[in-house]
Amino acid sequence: MLSLLLAAAAVTALIAGIAGAWSPCGFSMVDTIGTALGDVRRTVMIVAAASFTIGALAGGAVTFGGLSLLGRLLGHGATELRDAVAGALALAAAFADWRGWKIAPQIRRQVPERWRWIMPLPLACVLYGLLLGLGFTTFVLSFAVWALAGISFAADSAVLGVVVGVAFGLGRALPVLWIAPRLGTERGDRCLDRLALEPRLWLGMRRLDAIGLAACAAVLGSSSALAAGTVFATDPSADSADYAWQQVGGPGMLQTATATLSLPGRLPAVGGANVAWLSGHQIVISHGFPSPSPRTIPGPPHATVDALAVSADWLVVRDQSASGIANLFAVSLRDPARRRYLAGAGIPGAIGRPSLERSTVVYAYSSSAGSAIYEVDLGSGARSVLRGATADVLYANPTLRNGRLLYERSDRCAQQLLLGSPTRLGVDRVLLRLPSTVFRDSGYQNGYTHAYNGASVCPNRMSGAGSTTTLGATALGESVAYVSESPLDPARTRIVRVRLG
Amino acid sequence: MRGKRGSQLSPERPLSDAVVRHSSRRGFLERLGGAVIGLAGATAVASAVLPDEADAYTNFCGHTYTTGNCPAPTGLPRIDRQGYPLRAHDGVPVDDLGRPINGQGQPIDAHGQVLKDADGVPLAPAPRTKTCETTGEDYGITLTLEGSWYRCCGGTVRRIRDCCGATNLRVNGDAALVGYCYPGHHVFCVTYFETAIPC
Repeated sequence: MLSLLLAAAAVTALIAGIAGAWSPCGFSMVDTIGTALGDVRRTVMIVAAASFTIGALAGGAVTFGGLSLLGRLLGHGATELRDAVAGALALAAAFADWRGWKIAPQIRRQVPERWRWIMPLPLACVLYGLLLGLGFTTFVLSFAVWALAGISFAADSAVLGVVVGVAFGLGRALPVLWIAPRLGTERGDRCLDRLALEPRLWLGMRRLDAIGLAACAAVLGSSSALAAGTVFATDPSADSADYAWQQVGGPGMLQTATATLSLPGRLPAVGGANVAWLSGHQIVISHGFPSPSPRTIPGPPHATVDALAVSADWLVVRDQSASGIANLFAVSLRDPARRRYLAGAGIPGAIGRPSLERSTVVYAYSSSAGSAIYEVDLGSGARSVLRGATADVLYANPTLRNGRLLYERSDRCAQQLLLGSPTRLGVDRVLLRLPSTVFRDSGYQNGYTHAYNGASVCPNRMSGAGSTTTLGATALGESVAYVSESPLDPARTRIVRVRLG
Repeated sequence: MRGKRGSQLSPERPLSDAVVRHSSRRGFLERLGGAVIGLAGATAVASAVLPDEADAYTNFCGHTYTTGNCPAPTGLPRIDRQGYPLRAHDGVPVDDLGRPINGQGQPIDAHGQVLKDADGVPLAPAPRTKTCETTGEDYGITLTLEGSWYRCCGGTVRRIRDCCGATNLRVNGDAALVGYCYPGHHVFCVTYFETAIPC
């Protein structure tokens, strides 16, 4: 989804940059670089044009990259709202550009002419390019520039911001690069004259921008719908085409490529083209749904099943006895008598929700002594620790899919949803970051000096109450990560989708 | 100087003046005046030296000098007897994430109920480690709680505990002080423990 937006926004930015040639500064640049020097100093002119281009590219990257960075810094909150607002902005700008409305708000500033006289031309041209590339330091020639700023802010992707900025800068440089070297020739002068005398060309550019913005709006609209996720839902589970979740207080749900279906049971899981759910005390495994002859496996007689994971060959079950003893075990679907015990705990909640890919299961195990994500090969029984800590950190809700590990890492300052390689440490990508949920004091008592409590504070959050949202169960699709977010009232838990980009 | 009437007590001559004071009624009055002056002087000295005023402490009541707090789950480095973290304002045990916990290490809400997810399954417990030792692990040095000193804070005696190690740097990033650490060790950061002793 992001790549579509990236392409549409980049093309729009390029055209918006070209449209800037019709601004006073755009014309000035063509003339400054092209005519002032003549053929005698053609080399200097080429250097000046190159300098201008570098400045314009840098300026664009700074403005739009900076906006996207700002969007990222403000965090993940209200992604769908941001996408929707950016989409609406793009649509409005598209309409206005198509109609050729007068630009408003307009920035009535121009590049300083004196630079041309007091600086070496290449240096002046770098600075001129920078100002024009920045976009909002001189006249704005299309509504697309404003819309692209909003899109960069909302997209939550630094890459998109930088690409849009570079495309915009390139667009600002292209007319200069095209016309300036030809000035003084009949073709060059005619070209500049046409530029100056044909406002329809400018309108044409703006209409192209309008088309690009409409495409951006379409992508953002669908993205907004995607990010809205599923409300009153938890325990996401994803397979290649299927996506299942548990409706809070209701049945399990299954979304296939063609329909959304209610399952006759709870705790749904999908994997290996199988769908599993809990029906009473029976665990049902269905190859597709609905299936004429689903298999059933009796649940543990003296315990309650509270989590399932399934693949083509294995079923993993977590249960809890009345006394609070929790167990995690795997059942072979080829031979249900073949079982592998995975973990046990005397503290409910210590064993996390399992995830299964083929014959590899991952789960978190946490206690006061430490927290770790384990991987077990159900075929061989080989066990390894994928992530672990004995202090400060809680690892939770891992999901394994196509050689990628999605998991949560919480410490006293933040909750993070991370995506990385199961085995390579230190290069995980943060998909989502929320403040920690705990109340934090300021690190000093009221009325006392507080000059040396830097180690007491969290750089990402203030003192006082923390986030009211707790990250929960996860799933990993082809291009999207699912994570449940619980507010103070767990009944209002929802599943959020995060684009993988 | 000896026997001189109305002489001002000179701080440089306390012994010789004392002889005079003990020898007459005038000496008694002078002794009384000296006591008053001495009391006033002691108060002035005490106020200059002893950090009884709140602003003489750093970060929290009882902590003098400039060594920073040990990083603690909820901010202020309040610990229990064993060195595990407590929430500063009410002394509730917390895990390393700063969540209030019960005796089993499970996170609980303000009413002491175990926190649960949307399925009704209790949230996972998190590690709970000793604040000083964990600080050492985080900073790559071996730290332990060593010497202490005590101050009256908020009506109870507070034990300020130095978290010490064989280090010349402290959590602030600059040179560490000796504090109450054992020989060869310096204070890396500080914690405190609230006793039950009223004061």
